[in-house]
Amino acid sequence: MDNAHDILPSKDLDLTVTISPPKGIWPEDIVLGRVLNLQDGFGQMQPALEGLFSATMICTVVFTTMMLTMLPIPYIERKFIGRLMDRLGATTTLRSLWIGESGVTAGEWWNQLPFGMGAPIGWLNKTLNSIWGNDHHLEAVSRVNNRGYHGYWFLLPGFFQAFADFTKFAGKEHIVPKEADRPVYEVAPVIIISTTVLVFAFIPFGPHFYVSSPELSVIFMMAIFGVAPLGVFFAGWSSNNKYTLIGGMRSAAQLTAYEIPLLITVLGVCVISGSFNLIEIVDFQAEESNVWNLFMLPLGAVLFLITMIAEVERIPFDMPEAEAELVEGWWTEYGGMRWGLMFAAEYQRCYAACLLFALFFLGGWEAPFQSTMESLPIVGGSLEFLLSLIPGIVWVLIKAWALFAVFVWIRASLHRVRTDQILEFGWQWLLPLSIANLAVAMFLRVWVWDGSWGIVAPVVMILSGIVGLVILVVDEDKEALESMRRPYSTYAVTKAYPGRHPDSKLEDLQRQYTSYSAVKTASSVSPSDTEAGT
Amino acid sequence: MAEMWISMGPQHPMTHGLWTLKVKVDGETVVDTEPDLGYIHRGVEKICESRDFTQITTYCDRLCYASANTWSHSYIYAVEDLLEVEVPERAEYIRLIAVELQRIASHLMWLGAYGPDIGNLSVMVWCLREREMMMDLLQELGGSRMHYNFPRVGGVKRDLPHGFAQRTRAKVSLFLNRIQEYEALFDESTIFLIRTQGVGYSKPEEMVNHGVTGPNLRAGGVNYDIRTAHPYSVYSELDWEPPVERPSIKGADCYDRYRIRVEEMRVSAMMVLEALDKIPRGADTYHEPGDPAILAKAPSRSPEGASGFHHFEDSRGESMFYLAGGGEGRGKMPYRVSIRSPMFITIPYASKCMVGYKVADIPAIMGSFDPCIGETDR
Amino acid sequence: MGKVVPTSNQKSAAETMASALSSMDGVDAVVSERKNGTSPRNIVSVDCSNKNWRPLAVCMKVEHGVDYCSMITGIHWPEGSPDKNWEVIYHFMRMGVTDPPVVDGMVQPIVKDPSKLEGKDIPLEIEVRIALPETREPTVASVQDIWVGADWNEKETWDLVGIDFEGHEGMRRVLQPHETPVGFHPLQKQHKLRYHDFEEMYDDVQGFRRKPSDTGKIK
Repeated sequence: MDNAHDILPSKDLDLTVTISPPKGIWPEDIVLGRVLNLQDGFGQMQPALEGLFSATMICTVVFTTMMLTMLPIPYIERKFIGRLMDRLGATTTLRSLWIGESGVTAGEWWNQLPFGMGAPIGWLNKTLNSIWGNDHHLEAVSRVNNRGYHGYWFLLPGFFQAFADFTKFAGKEHIVPKEADRPVYEVAPVIIISTTVLVFAFIPFGPHFYVSSPELSVIFMMAIFGVAPLGVFFAGWSSNNKYTLIGGMRSAAQLTAYEIPLLITVLGVCVISGSFNLIEIVDFQAEESNVWNLFMLPLGAVLFLITMIAEVERIPFDMPEAEAELVEGWWTEYGGMRWGLMFAAEYQRCYAACLLFALFFLGGWEAPFQSTMESLPIVGGSLEFLLSLIPGIVWVLIKAWALFAVFVWIRASLHRVRTDQILEFGWQWLLPLSIANLAVAMFLRVWVWDGSWGIVAPVVMILSGIVGLVILVVDEDKEALESMRRPYSTYAVTKAYPGRHPDSKLEDLQRQYTSYSAVKTASSVSPSDTEAGT
Repeated sequence: MAEMWISMGPQHPMTHGLWTLKVKVDGETVVDTEPDLGYIHRGVEKICESRDFTQITTYCDRLCYASANTWSHSYIYAVEDLLEVEVPERAEYIRLIAVELQRIASHLMWLGAYGPDIGNLSVMVWCLREREMMMDLLQELGGSRMHYNFPRVGGVKRDLPHGFAQRTRAKVSLFLNRIQEYEALFDESTIFLIRTQGVGYSKPEEMVNHGVTGPNLRAGGVNYDIRTAHPYSVYSELDWEPPVERPSIKGADCYDRYRIRVEEMRVSAMMVLEALDKIPRGADTYHEPGDPAILAKAPSRSPEGASGFHHFEDSRGESMFYLAGGGEGRGKMPYRVSIRSPMFITIPYASKCMVGYKVADIPAIMGSFDPCIGETDR
Repeated sequence: MGKVVPTSNQKSAAETMASALSSMDGVDAVVSERKNGTSPRNIVSVDCSNKNWRPLAVCMKVEHGVDYCSMITGIHWPEGSPDKNWEVIYHFMRMGVTDPPVVDGMVQPIVKDPSKLEGKDIPLEIEVRIALPETREPTVASVQDIWVGADWNEKETWDLVGIDFEGHEGMRRVLQPHETPVGFHPLQKQHKLRYHDFEEMYDDVQGFRRKPSDTGKIK
């Protein structure tokens, strides 16, 4: 079918190279014969070109998919953190009805009515003004204050902020510090960004939606993932800045410390799934065992989560780029596009971590309870049909995005851990735990796996996971805490009350607290209570 | 790694104001520190020498902008000491309410800045939201949100507005519930505890020798408060006690200084509620500005050779104004105004506290002392 | 209702201290009662001569337990009497603060009832004034080693007013830039406030009417 391969290569199309050195150095001519045969070369080029084109296409398709599906990530981050920060509990919502406003702060008279009675009036006023063009939606101030302007209330208001941000970065000047080590300075972002994007080559978005899937894809992927610390260190060192140097060192130490538990945890997953190929791992969960690895290795899932948060340098482990001391840490001297791309690379690493968690532990492109639903007696067939209508990528993305929301949740609520505490945690706690997890995985695979997990093993693992969670979450005995001494440690909280000393009774002090809040909100001050003449 | 000097500031997101902290680090450990102040030295003391007594009040608001009411009241008490003015009791109650509300707002601002220092970004918005409630109340009292120019020599600018008492009670009661949320977020977070416990030890005797007072001192386990030790205003009429913390054996660490301020917010809130009950003539009567019930007639010229000063419990420690009056020859202007800022003395002490800890502890320690550079540099 | 130090206790403590201090050489201490506010304050007001300042400081710290230096003020009186051309005013407080004791491995916070304090425990405010005669280089003994709180106060006083403190280690500019010219101390009265009563922004926006900074000096 391929013409070039049907004809024998002809000799007069050989390309040979002859080198004639000066007679003093070498007496004879050197003939490098048959460097290239044009016909042969063309013949070999076509399948190579085919391969190149198909690889390019599939890389483009997958990369585009990855970037497009990454767009919700900054959106989730921004909106979720905003909701957490604006959290209005039931207390505020209810009490704010009662409080009302004063004339000083309310603005319009209808806002001063209690219980929000004036809200319909306000809406009516706003709508009528809008209808007749007396609003300020298009003005710059209004657009800045309300960044949801671009978008509809049902369709991602504020979604295009990410584009605006990226365009801004693209337009900025590339500034290099004067004494910076220029080659290293330029190479560092390249390393970081390229290795991050390269990881996505091995992540399958669906059962047939990947760039390449070699037999040892997990190992290759983890190896590439682990090159980024090198780029971080280059960036920190080459900027000729003490802040970035400290940041780079911290980052290198932290990332190295958490690589090892990460790799051992991933090894545990590969052991239990029986393969180093990512697609086979997901297929193992979907087809063979019908139990998500999350339930077989709960400890491994938690470890993976923690080590991945440390790898992508998010709070609580973002000490290398802590704004409080180091401005931006190892990124400080980068501006413009390089910073924008590194910023994007940080989110891509986050996204890769979420996807990997979804693939390793959450069953990838399998719907929850898919096999159970499909094996139901009567409705199983129709359910199977319905489920097959939904492409696998949808499940992968949903799981990844949900996990990213968990990352954002953690970021918004936890504090930053100090570097030496991070390292202590990584080496002293996570490493032994990951080895324990590996041992459990090996035990499960060798002695429990016999074509399926059975019913005992998953139940035991889930129960042990729940028990562990409960033990960690439940507060220690409060009385013991109060009476314990306060060492340099993480617990023992002694609350101070005003004038707290051994003579005062706890009940008196508590009564003091409750008396004001209980009595004063229940009643308003009526004129008869205060005597004007006193 | 060799020892090197890092300069944190003057442009820095953490430093709570405009100053430089030069830190000598050996790897990650702090070996020596040197604070550098004076970036916003506006020469207030010199300016005040050519201003009337009433004109100086506006300058005092701007000394510490996060805690404006306490500073203008501190000045007014010193002026009243100089001119020997007796203030009506209702005015003293109104001043107390303003000062304690301002103290709550100042501590909330501190807490909102301290959270991001440690890494928690959400608490900043939460604290500022509560602070908005306090600032609304202070706006009703004083007219603007930050620089109120509220006290006058001999009283206050205006009386409690209509409905102020009801709104204050509701907002303060709500606030007392919200404090428990902040405590939950901080005290029950292991990461916060390991970041702030065991960091930045300071002992009360050493603190007093260095000139540190206020919540920083009470965090050390000593209940010294100028409002009780050298009583002024109507603090003696209310049923309250200054909060004290039980520190660790080695001294007060950052966690203690955080806890003491939370308790101070509680105590101030309860003081405001009590003052609204006890205010003479009731919280709902309204007197016109200038009414003798809220403003006494005061001489505008100081006697020859007189001087006045007053120690005042500011949100950050002991603030004091010393006024040397020039008498008839100088008219209505003081001869010398000298301002004592608690933070001017605490920042060198806090810098000494940092030695021996890690670079990452610097914002934790510095933030826990609650620096405000406006009053430091005057 | 709240527990505060009663005025009578304060007054008697102040009188005790004043009489004890007056017995020293060159020191004249009185109790001055300030009548403003809701309760009178009794402060110990001490006039000291320059050469007796150091022994007085040591005596205050050691015998009377004055542990807190609040502020040091320097005033320039160019039109004052020849004895009082400069004045340095110290404000101290006796707080009675000690480290809280450790009992059974836990720190017991010291909670004092202010109304029950007696004798040397009663908090007091102390003001010490030192008048200096006319001189180009006013100097006062430094108390930096007695109260560390005086350290930065003395630096500020020298920086702004020009009063030097003998024995002070590490004297430097704190509020003004480090490179401020030697001898420039703005709170001295010969330096006038620039543009007072002259609204630069409205009257002379581009500064054409400004005079050079060395106007009026003998060149």
